[in-house]
Amino acid sequence: MFKRFVTAIELLAAVAIVVFVVMLFANEPSTSGVATSPGGQPFQANCASCHGAQGEGGIGPKLAGVVTHDFPNETDQIGVVTKGKGSMPAFGGNLTAAQIRQVVDYTRTGLGK
Amino acid sequence: MHGRTNRGRWGWSPVQLKTASPVTGKLLGIFVVGAAVSVALGVYADSHTPTHEKPYTLFFSGTIQLKVWLATAALALALIQLLLAARLYGKIHLPRRAPAWLGDAHRLVGITAFLLTLPVAYQCLWALGFQSGSTRVLLHGLFGCVFYGVFTMKVLGVRVEGLPGWVLPVAGGLVFAALVGLFLTSSLWFFTSSSAPRPLF
Repeated sequence: MFKRFVTAIELLAAVAIVVFVVMLFANEPSTSGVATSPGGQPFQANCASCHGAQGEGGIGPKLAGVVTHDFPNETDQIGVVTKGKGSMPAFGGNLTAAQIRQVVDYTRTGLGK
Repeated sequence: MHGRTNRGRWGWSPVQLKTASPVTGKLLGIFVVGAAVSVALGVYADSHTPTHEKPYTLFFSGTIQLKVWLATAALALALIQLLLAARLYGKIHLPRRAPAWLGDAHRLVGITAFLLTLPVAYQCLWALGFQSGSTRVLLHGLFGCVFYGVFTMKVLGVRVEGLPGWVLPVAGGLVFAALVGLFLTSSLWFFTSSSAPRPLF
């Protein structure tokens, strides 16, 4: 009886693996959150994994609607993105200065509230 | 001496050539399939456009919390799995007489732990992709790919007959080590880092 139960769970796991693989390929990523702003793409590629696709926060703090309050001076925010701070990595080596400025502009004007 | 041991041209007896090759072939096949799974996951994670979406939270406050606790539960089950394996191999003697269902319990705990990792891996692969922003994140991605590769090897090692006795303990140990690596680079970081998001649940 117990052996049959375990076999049933193993079959369930096999089905779960199939669903897992199908979902990886069938569930296409949503592009609705990517803005047309030039900073939108680098934001999605470099920042969204921690700060959320809409800047709503996650591992990193929320940006949408609050970043201009946290960084009244845009230059300070550019400095944090470039050099990093605390657990946030520095992006000066991955992004050009122009890209960093575009990303910062995007977080200040392109993200929702 | 050659005549007494009946060794062949390269120092192998004909009997050894007949029996060793299939085992080596099976081991190589298992290794190749497991490595292919690891590489395929890494390639998918690197080439797929991350969605950065949080598809499910269940009864947790966020997807990160869900992932952290599922991974922790998987590690807890893996520890039980390790103890069950130690009893099966006679490395520990508690209980003194191993019940007949011990092997099935070992399978059940292992499969359950594996099932708990799937929602975690799906969100990692689909929403985040392969990242190398920090050493922790890079190691986490590598451990994730290795985990499913060695898990595949372990499952195949159970199914394929005629393998040496060391294969399953080694494969099981690698699966456990990869899971510990995953835990250390994700859940433990979440529990201990002041920069990790809160609440805990």
